Amino acid sequence: MKRTIIVLLSALLLGLTQAQTTIEFWYAFTDAPRQGWINDRIDEFNAELAAQNSPYRVEGSNKGSYRETLEAAVLATRQGTPPHLVQLFEVGSQLAIDTGIFRAIDGFGGGIDTSDYIEPVLNYYTIDGRVYSIPFNSSSPILYGNETLLERAGLSTERLPETFGELLAACEQAEAAGVTEACITFPLHTWFFEQWVAQQGEPLVNNGNGRDARATEVLLTSDAALRVGQFMKDLADGGHYSYTGRFEDWAGSEAIFGNQQSLYFITSTADAGNIIRGAAENGFDVATGLLPIPDGVTRNGVVIGGASVWMVDGPPEVELEVARDFVLYMTNTENMVSWHKLTGYYPVRVSSVEALEAEGWFDENPEFTIAFTQLTETLTNQATGGALLGTFGDTRTIVEEALQKIYQGSATVEEAMDEAKRQADAVLAEYNANF
Amino acid sequence: MPRPRPRRSSGRFWSHVVLIVACVLVAFPVLFALIKATQTRAAVLSPSLIAGDQFLVNLRQVWATADLGLFMRNSLIVATAVTVGKTILSLFGGMALVFFRFPGHRFVFGFVLLTLMMPTEVLIVPLFDLVSLRPPESWAVFWAWFSDPGRVFLRPLDFGFGWSNSYLALIVPFLASATGTFLFRQHFRAIPTSLADAARIDGATPWQFLTRVLVPMSGNTIGALAVIQFVYVWDQYLWPRVVIRREELQVVQVGLNMIIGAGDGVEWGWVMTGAIVTLIPPMLIFLVLQERFTRGFALTDAK
Amino acid sequence: MREHAVFTNRWLPWVFLAPSLAVLTVFLYYPLWQAVVLSFHRANLLLGTRRFVGWGNYEAIFTGPLSARYHQVMVQSFAFSMLVVVIGLSISVVLATLAAQPLRGARVYRLLLIWPFALSPAVAATIMLFLFNPEIGGVNQVLNALFGIKPRWLDTPQLAFALVVVTAVWKNLGYNVVFYLAALQNVPKELSEAAAIDGASGFQRFFRITLPMLSPMTFFLVFTNLTYSFFDSYGLIDVLTRGGPIGPAPFDAVGITRTMVYQVANDGFTGSGNTGLAAAFGNIVLAIVALITFAQFRFGGRRVQYGDH
Repeated sequence: MKRTIIVLLSALLLGLTQAQTTIEFWYAFTDAPRQGWINDRIDEFNAELAAQNSPYRVEGSNKGSYRETLEAAVLATRQGTPPHLVQLFEVGSQLAIDTGIFRAIDGFGGGIDTSDYIEPVLNYYTIDGRVYSIPFNSSSPILYGNETLLERAGLSTERLPETFGELLAACEQAEAAGVTEACITFPLHTWFFEQWVAQQGEPLVNNGNGRDARATEVLLTSDAALRVGQFMKDLADGGHYSYTGRFEDWAGSEAIFGNQQSLYFITSTADAGNIIRGAAENGFDVATGLLPIPDGVTRNGVVIGGASVWMVDGPPEVELEVARDFVLYMTNTENMVSWHKLTGYYPVRVSSVEALEAEGWFDENPEFTIAFTQLTETLTNQATGGALLGTFGDTRTIVEEALQKIYQGSATVEEAMDEAKRQADAVLAEYNANF
Repeated sequence: MPRPRPRRSSGRFWSHVVLIVACVLVAFPVLFALIKATQTRAAVLSPSLIAGDQFLVNLRQVWATADLGLFMRNSLIVATAVTVGKTILSLFGGMALVFFRFPGHRFVFGFVLLTLMMPTEVLIVPLFDLVSLRPPESWAVFWAWFSDPGRVFLRPLDFGFGWSNSYLALIVPFLASATGTFLFRQHFRAIPTSLADAARIDGATPWQFLTRVLVPMSGNTIGALAVIQFVYVWDQYLWPRVVIRREELQVVQVGLNMIIGAGDGVEWGWVMTGAIVTLIPPMLIFLVLQERFTRGFALTDAK
Repeated sequence: MREHAVFTNRWLPWVFLAPSLAVLTVFLYYPLWQAVVLSFHRANLLLGTRRFVGWGNYEAIFTGPLSARYHQVMVQSFAFSMLVVVIGLSISVVLATLAAQPLRGARVYRLLLIWPFALSPAVAATIMLFLFNPEIGGVNQVLNALFGIKPRWLDTPQLAFALVVVTAVWKNLGYNVVFYLAALQNVPKELSEAAAIDGASGFQRFFRITLPMLSPMTFFLVFTNLTYSFFDSYGLIDVLTRGGPIGPAPFDAVGITRTMVYQVANDGFTGSGNTGLAAAFGNIVLAIVALITFAQFRFGGRRVQYGDH
């Protein structure tokens, strides 16, 4: 009975909207500001379509986290109702390709003009010489400092520590001055670990960071990886580090910094807007600096984090063309400027950066300058291109557990990383056995 | 009534002390949540335990901006559908098992009771395939599959119901209840045989017997079952989390966690407001049916 | 046993039973069988791959390179369930017995003890997560102000484990008290009063009369609480600790609050995981539950008879 009603209703709805075909765009933002921004772009694009009497209409829907969005897209495709566009996080790239439901954007129609994209961004999404997806939201981690507390500790607010050594020294000084309970907070998240390994120019996985061939080993016992583990140990030994205790708790660390319970904070540039607004509410100013790196190594730069938009193989070509046009509209020069201003994500286009410079944005908002310096000075190589790995999710949990062991002091750096490598490799072997 | 002896009154004093301490401890986290739900953003993160006047502001925010209203509606639809469906099916089952003589009746009872040991939570992997995979294209395809035992029993599933985007995924798999069938069976067996015989002599059809005699006599059992089933469905988390792929169909338990996970910086005031609101429906159901609930279980237990 | 069957219609009972049997067959028995089939395959949800691997998944659980995880998860699950059942039921039976006395305000006490019935695992965990947040949570703000300490509730393994147990006990309290109160209504008052006149103290009456009389209910509650802590605790753990933190050796293969169901969901739905392995572990969990239930019915059965004396 209920079934019949549903069937009748959908038939009725179908009849009413028959004139229009929906282009589905699935994204992974659950917060109001970013959802609102996307909906505004969709409305604008639809108005344009309507003006041209186009039978198409773009519809966006939020599917939860990136991982859930990927799952939803794959399952919907298998169930015969694929979306057209899916926003996926960068570390899901290998898994996305392996599912076989997506088609590389550069092979579609006339391809896309990639000349305007910032190099490190393009570097990430170019896999095997092909551009798979359209870059959208990109970010990297930077160091934030609480100016009020820095001054009280007699530390510079102009130049924040740029190496682990400098950071630890600053922490000692702040501790001696008795300024605050903890020196630094950042979410216990493998993203930072990945960044620190890449900063040293070292790959995270074998086979050219998974870009020459499918990775078979996660290099968690490399010197680069051990240096990061040692940093965790130094922070723990000095009592400098604070977090809520849960893995990947971005909000938790932001609350610690916002409540002035830590001097420094490492997190994504994408949160710059929120952090600065939050700090203003709590009555302090925020200084920003480059992501500190291990002492005595060349700064290779950051791996671009964030997400891109993928096109599903399945819907008719004409629909996919509209879909592609929509993404290119959403990520055009002007829109990437407003996206950056709203969120702090990098505008992924060179022309957007130029537009921002021309209007003097960086002079008014110096905190973003550092983020751009960090990005533009990034060397293009396989390390900063980012690792490709089908089991990124599991590997992240394993590394987080290893870092937690080091933090708790229940294992030495070597023991913890050895065990993590053993587990990560086993999980990877299990995954690779699917092929 | 005999006057309590002095020795007992000191026992009473300690009973009061223990009970008061227990009640306070048990209530404290929720009182804390309630107070935080009324505070401003700044006060929420401070140690302050003074109630504020922001409850409606927080509620409006969490209801509309964070979609709590939508999640609550979904949960209410699903919980009501499952509770009603389960009660009816259990009533039918209990009736068939007690008032009919038919071959295989013991086997059926065992078959139903054994499912008590098969929690959905452990079966989510295959159940997920079954519920969410694409349905067969046609009946012919289905029959080709169904008539081949090798494919039905020895191969992983090729297709399923395709319910990922529908309430059906949250309702249909939970419609049958071993607990419910068992409760009704116990209750019906306690009904004097003479009553059933009288009904039969009066020429009542089984359906009339069910609706005119059994249902009116089963208020307590129905109430007891409704309470546990409603709360059970209301509390579900893992299954909706994996099977539901549309935010607009998500239930409130998962939705509440989405409010914690959304974007940057948790709005703890909103989250606490959400937690309090989520408590209300099961609490109301319980308060309304409390007497029946207690009696429904006291009776069956007396057996 | 009295004879109740009053209708002799041959097909009508099957009509009444058909919906229940259909749902149970399709959504419980068939998936159970599929779980067995799936457990002999390597399968991936996202890749859509399936390959027959024989006993490979079971071998991986017992002796594979990641077997330490599975062993640890099993031990933790048992410890968690035992603690929740023993602590939860002990507190509940005492409180229910006290609140069942003819005290002034007993009705209020009862209501105040029963209401956590409405708590769901996810909501209970949400509130506790905020309350015990080490930096901004209420508990540490008070502890810090009074004693200058800030215990790390969520990443000190022992504290995190204890917090999960306490939250589960708290969440279950209302349910247990409700059932004990219902059962206490059936404990004859005369028995207790007679004992009181004989000079038995409150404690003696509790252990010699009340507790044995309640044993059928305890038997039922042990079963429901075990099921709850084994299976329904996923939401609680997912919200509160996400399975972490990593424990001290030998509990350092995986997070210390991961239960078996958490591990099944994790293997089955993390995208890169092997769903066949998840199914295999799920089957092991089911076998264990079946064993416990069986043992409990044998052992518990005797206790119930004792209670009926």
